[in-house]
Amino acid sequence: MNSTAWQHLFGWRTAFDHPVTVCAVTGILAALALAPLVIHALSRLNVISPQLHEELWRRWKSWLWLTAAMVGPILLGAAWVMIAVAVLSWFCFQEFARATGLFREFPIVAVVLVGIFALGIANVDHYDRMYFSLAALTSGVIAMVTLPENRPQGYLQRVSLGILGFLLFGYSIGYLGLMANDSHYRPLLILVLLSVELNDIFAYCVGKIFGGRKLLSNISPGKTVAGSLGALVLTTALVTGMGKSIFAGTAMGNDFSLLKLGLLISLLGQLGDLILSAIKRDLGVKDLGVCIAGHGGWLDRFDSLVLVPPAVYHFLSYELGPLGQNQPMRILTGG
Amino acid sequence: MNDWRYLSARDLGLQTKERHCSPLRESDLTSNVLRLGWLMTVRTILKCWNRLEICGLENLPAQPPFVIVANHSSHLDTVVLASALSARWRDQVSPLAAGDYFFATPPLAGFSAVILNALPVWRNRRGGQRHELGDLRGRLINQQAIYIVFPEGSRSRDGQLHEFKSGFATLVAGTAIPVLPCRLSGSFAAMPPEARAVRPRKIVLQIGAPMTFETVANHAAGWRRIAAVAREEVIALSACESPARKFHTRRRSDKLLLTVRFTRLWLRRRLRGLAGLGGALP
Repeated sequence: MNSTAWQHLFGWRTAFDHPVTVCAVTGILAALALAPLVIHALSRLNVISPQLHEELWRRWKSWLWLTAAMVGPILLGAAWVMIAVAVLSWFCFQEFARATGLFREFPIVAVVLVGIFALGIANVDHYDRMYFSLAALTSGVIAMVTLPENRPQGYLQRVSLGILGFLLFGYSIGYLGLMANDSHYRPLLILVLLSVELNDIFAYCVGKIFGGRKLLSNISPGKTVAGSLGALVLTTALVTGMGKSIFAGTAMGNDFSLLKLGLLISLLGQLGDLILSAIKRDLGVKDLGVCIAGHGGWLDRFDSLVLVPPAVYHFLSYELGPLGQNQPMRILTGG
Repeated sequence: MNDWRYLSARDLGLQTKERHCSPLRESDLTSNVLRLGWLMTVRTILKCWNRLEICGLENLPAQPPFVIVANHSSHLDTVVLASALSARWRDQVSPLAAGDYFFATPPLAGFSAVILNALPVWRNRRGGQRHELGDLRGRLINQQAIYIVFPEGSRSRDGQLHEFKSGFATLVAGTAIPVLPCRLSGSFAAMPPEARAVRPRKIVLQIGAPMTFETVANHAAGWRRIAAVAREEVIALSACESPARKFHTRRRSDKLLLTVRFTRLWLRRRLRGLAGLGGALP
């Protein structure tokens, strides 16, 4: 491994080289610092009920460590991002497997675990072709692995759930690690994570303010058309604003391309949310986990993220050329 | 065409700490693998360090559910009994452990739940205990579990067998679930209650013939009767040590010894034959 690759994977001294990283991290810290004051003020003015006050406090406390877990690896280096992404993928898949009952199929769960590990290795190695091939290879192994059990009952269900779980929570979320191979990965990842998370908040707030027609009442009774459109407008504006600085001087620097990127993130963020809502309704559970106080499980918090990373990666690669092509390739395997 | 049926984890929605203590707990891949590693390690140590000998393996039922009832004088008792069972049952074998001891702190509860697969029984909780035992009975029947129970309630401080408490009998009264009486000898000498390390003393486990209490009513008198019968069976086992009923590893070692002897004999004969042939040559 040469010094350039080492610096890219573990170099934390360059964490604040890009102005967008500085602004975004400062903004996030300021928001986290101000949030308790706002919650306290709203409570004192009787704008919010004691139950909501308690709920907001729980959410704020969770956001403290969630922010550290999301921003920390980005600042520390690309390798930490890839590790964090693999861990997040595994946690999300485990929740999905526990909710669907797939966790009882140990061979399939083991193959998905190996698949997520291999995706992580492909990311660290910066071996794009290996990463892309793992979707088909892992799906094939999932289909094969339970054959020796000689148990055709439920074959289609367990294999389908295994492949769906791997593709949504391993392969799709794993693209965040692939993006970390780009030289400007820090502002790019912050843009993706911030816009996806704020997209949720925009939809919630606009929906609460304007109300109106439900979007898909059977899948997610809380979501409204107004909230969805509001999130689309606000997230696109946010992405366009941040993108102007991140992509300045590149083919993505024009308003039209940034508008497309913003719409893509907002739309797919909302669709990811709806996909997980549909899964939860089908299973008849409210939350898929309980590990994040006030939010539910990992998938309840990161549901909007499942479709966005591959779309953003391929969109940017289409517009700018393959991401990370100016960085060392196949760091571990050579060739 | 069959409809798809999702069966979510029974402990879905429980916090980690609650999940560790819940009889609804289910094993996942991680705990399965960790348990296998633990079991292999413990078996090796018990065989090498304590020369573990197990008699009466043929008495084990072919399939769960069943309940193992044994005397208790050492922390080793649980691992000895667990290691006597097939590794493929590792997710089904659950020692019933004192909640106030084995689930007192989160790390200890994590170890007890994930590695030992223990289920807590809370002592000194009169009303709640009955409810918990009902949940445990449900798990035993519905999830095809194997329970390791020490009806004395606590480790014997003098190595002697004490009275059996009848609480465990609520698990099996009025059911066809087999109860296996087991007698552990040597575990007190290997690790008495006050010891912090395992001494290299020989441990012998005797597994008795299974009993069922299908006709015994599930009420206080029936429970007392089951406890008394189980205790008698455990006591009766103490005199049944027989060199003919040895643990399979001993058999394996005997086979190995026989193979070595046979090979030596065969080689000796061949060499003699060769020597004879050599002598006949001109």
